[in-house]
Order: sequence, then structure tokens, then C-alpha cells
Amino acid sequence: MSASALPFTLSASPAARLLRDRLILFAIVIGAWESLGLLGVDPIWVSAPSLIAERLWSLALAGDLWRHASRTITEAGLGLALAFAVGVPIGIAMATYKYANSVAEPLVLGLYSLPRVALAPLFIIWFGIDLFSKVMMAFSTVLFVFMLNVHEGLKTVDRDLVDLFRTMRARRGFITRRVLLPWIVPWMIAGLRLGVGLSLIGAVVGELIGASAGLGWYIERSAGHLDTTGVFTGLVTLMAIAMVGNAAVAALDQRFSGWRNP
Amino acid sequence: MDGFERASQGVTLTPPKVAVRGLDISFPGQEGAPVTVLEGLDLELAAGEFLAIVGPSGCGKSTLLRVVSGLLAPSGGQVLVDGVAVTAPPPQVGFMFQRDTLLPWASVFDNIAVGAELAGRSKAVIARRVPELIAFLRLTGFERNLPHQLSGGMRQRVALGRLLAYEPELYLMDEPFGALDSQTKTVMGRELLRVWATHRRSVIFVTHDIEEAVTLADRVVVLSQRPGRIRLDLPITLPRPRDGRALRGTPEFGALCSEVWAALDLAPA
Repeated sequence: MSASALPFTLSASPAARLLRDRLILFAIVIGAWESLGLLGVDPIWVSAPSLIAERLWSLALAGDLWRHASRTITEAGLGLALAFAVGVPIGIAMATYKYANSVAEPLVLGLYSLPRVALAPLFIIWFGIDLFSKVMMAFSTVLFVFMLNVHEGLKTVDRDLVDLFRTMRARRGFITRRVLLPWIVPWMIAGLRLGVGLSLIGAVVGELIGASAGLGWYIERSAGHLDTTGVFTGLVTLMAIAMVGNAAVAALDQRFSGWRNP
Repeated sequence: MDGFERASQGVTLTPPKVAVRGLDISFPGQEGAPVTVLEGLDLELAAGEFLAIVGPSGCGKSTLLRVVSGLLAPSGGQVLVDGVAVTAPPPQVGFMFQRDTLLPWASVFDNIAVGAELAGRSKAVIARRVPELIAFLRLTGFERNLPHQLSGGMRQRVALGRLLAYEPELYLMDEPFGALDSQTKTVMGRELLRVWATHRRSVIFVTHDIEEAVTLADRVVVLSQRPGRIRLDLPITLPRPRDGRALRGTPEFGALCSEVWAALDLAPA
């Protein structure tokens, strides 16, 4: 075996080196956490990675892990998709109808600044205790991100580029499809990047207030039993879901925004 | 000898390619008083003629191109292209900006192809014509590259390719090589002359580079400070084909440049 084929040598590719260093950091954090117990910190406060792993395993075997996780993923995913479908056209309208946007802007920003957590009880009343209220929580948390991002993105469109297509007698629809929409793709992806975390926050907050399943519900119930390991298990699972979502967005970004990051 | 000479002698009956009649352009100024950019401008461009416009910055030369291309409505007077008053972008007019204005996410091939697409060419024609243009503009091997992977000069060649793919009868060029270093600029000027010698389209070329104007054009028009009026309308009788580098030490070339300098009322550096 030649030296260059060995993993983790000095000649390793930057990607392999990054992966290695990430795993090392992960191991250090886990090790430090686990050793808190050895230093005499009661697991009732901070639990321990080994206890969490054990709980994950038993939850997975019982089918509960997937039941709760898939519930939260569905709520957040549907909310995110709905926010995209509604927010992007509104963002385009905001950029197109400038006066109407000026009229509505203070109201929109006011709604945007409203802590969505405070809406959760209202959403439970309006949309029930099941899936739909959590989808709406996630939706309302992410919606403004897409609206404002797309609006900002359209403000940066190169006027000369649009003018150039106008001199070639391109129709409005052609300019929209071939210039404006591709232009805002990176802004939509940036919206997704924020939206992954925010939609999970929206869904989980909804579950904390009132639900019968989902990771938020599991965390809330565990806390009610002073089951710190249960709380941390829910949190770790949420974190894993967010990390997978972020990786997916990063892959999209790599694929579609390369032209912006030379 | 060519269309330009006959047209300029008034022998042909076809209308000039571009006729600018009493053109006024003003913008709302900072304190409410309108700023007049162009005032009572009269100018004609014969079919197949290469006209260069030079003038101090802010004299309205770029504004003039925007009016001819139909992007900007005049405050007074009118512009006719092929005898028709311009109220919207007229057909077969190609514009080239100082900045390359390429689609940053599209390959060299696609950026050129969009010109042919907007000219209404079929897929089959596009598939045949674009590679020809890529070869003609010496971009072979870069078909799949994105604009940010190219040098400034190459990007402007792609922009020129898109313009050629659109097959305009009139080229409006707003300092198209102004952002390039002088060496690349000279090369691009030579490319443009090669294109022009092949197709013999009408060109309005705005620049602030006097030597570039004299090297390329049949005629150099000098605009004054704002409000822009014509200070000089100078035919450039240097024989073609022209070689910019060889021209530059000749007394004829120097004399023409001095005349333009004098009209600009600026001392040569």
C-alpha cells in the first residue's frame, strides 16, 4: 500500500482532514460530557452520553424514536415547504409592487418581530392539538424569512443585465424565468438554511404547548418526570435532524449557488 | 466603395440607419431644477457606418445610446431607427455594456445561445451557429465554463458572441472595452474590427479613449460638456484594414488624435 492511500496522513485531502477533525471534536465533547459523571456531577443534572445512547437504543427498539422523530420532521417539513410556496411569491410581489410594499412594510415587519412562541396557544385553539397546528407554527416561523430574503435578493438584481435583455426585446415572462428567478435561487437557499432550524423550533414549540406525539412532546413529558436523560435524548435527536437538514441545504447550495461564490 | 460613402454623399434614397433629431434629455436634479444632459442634438448614422462618440464623462454619450436602444424616452425631439421613431427597443439592435452583463449561472455556450434564442432561431440553428461563434471568438475549450471562471477580456468576448448570435443590424456599444487593461483592449478592438469587416453592420461606439475611437471608426463625433452638443464631427479616412499598433506612430494618426484632443479642449497628457 502506498503512503498516499493511507487515510489521515499529511497528504490526506482537505475534505478527509476536515471530516477527521470534526470527528475528533465530536469525540472530545462526548468524552468531556461523559467524564462529568466521573468528576462527581450527578447525572440527574446533565445525564451522560452513555445513558442517552442506551435510551436511544431502547426507544428505537420500541419504535417510539421513529414515531416521535417522524412526527416532528413531518410538521417542520410541511411548514417549511408551505412557507417556501407562500413566501417566495409574496417576496416577488413585494419587489414588483413597490408602493403596496411601502404601505404594508411596517405591518409586515411588526408581524415578523412578533415572538411566534406567543402565538402557539392561539394556534392550538385555531388549528387543534394535532399535526396541523404544529405545521402552522413552523410555517409562521419561516414564512417571513422567505418573503424578506426573496425581496432582498430581487433588490440586488443587476439592472444592466435586465436592460440588456430588454434591448433584445425579451418579453417580461422570459426575463422573469431566465434572469430574475435564477438570480434569487441563492437567496432562496439562504432562506432554507435559516428555515431548517426555525421550522424545527416552530414545530417543537407547538408540541411543548400541546401535543400527543413528537420530540417536543417527549421532551416536555420527560421533564415532567424529572427524566433528564429523556430531555437530552429528545434534544440530541432534534440536533441530529437539524444537522442532516443543514447538510442537505449545503449540498443544494454547492449545486446551485456556485456561480455566486467564485 | 461602400454603402457609407454613397450614403454620406446623399446618393441613396434609403433612410439613415439612425437619425437623431433635436434630441433633448433632462433628468430631475437634486434641487428640483432639471439637469439637461443633451440639448438639441442632431446626428445621423449611415447603414454600415462605424461611428465613435467621445466626450467628457457625464456629457450624455451613454444616455444617447439608451435612447437609441429604446430603454429611455427622450424629453424632447426624437430618434429614428430605419426611419421609424423609437418608442420601445427596436428590432435587431444589439447592446453591449462596459460591464459584461452575462448570466452568471450560465455557461459560455448558454450565454451566447440566448442571443440566438431571442432572435427567434430554431434549436437546430442554435446548435450549429453557437459553436461557430465560439470558434470565431477564440473561446474553444471554454464552452462549459461559467463567467466567473473567465478573464475580463474573455467575458467581453462572450458578450460580443451573444450580440453576434442575436444578429443585430445596429451595434450600440457603451465603452465595451473600457474596463479592460490596455493590451486586452487593443486585442478586443482588433476582434471587433474583424467582426465588423465580416458583417458590415452599423455601429455606434461610445468611448473616452481617443486613440481607440480613431483606430476603429469611420467617423468620430466629439460631444461637449453637459449639456452635450456636437463639438466636432470628424471623418477618419485612414485606410482599412487597420492595425492599431502600426497606426500608432504614424503622423496621420497623430494628427487626427490631436484634432479630437483639441475639440475636447483638453491638453494631451
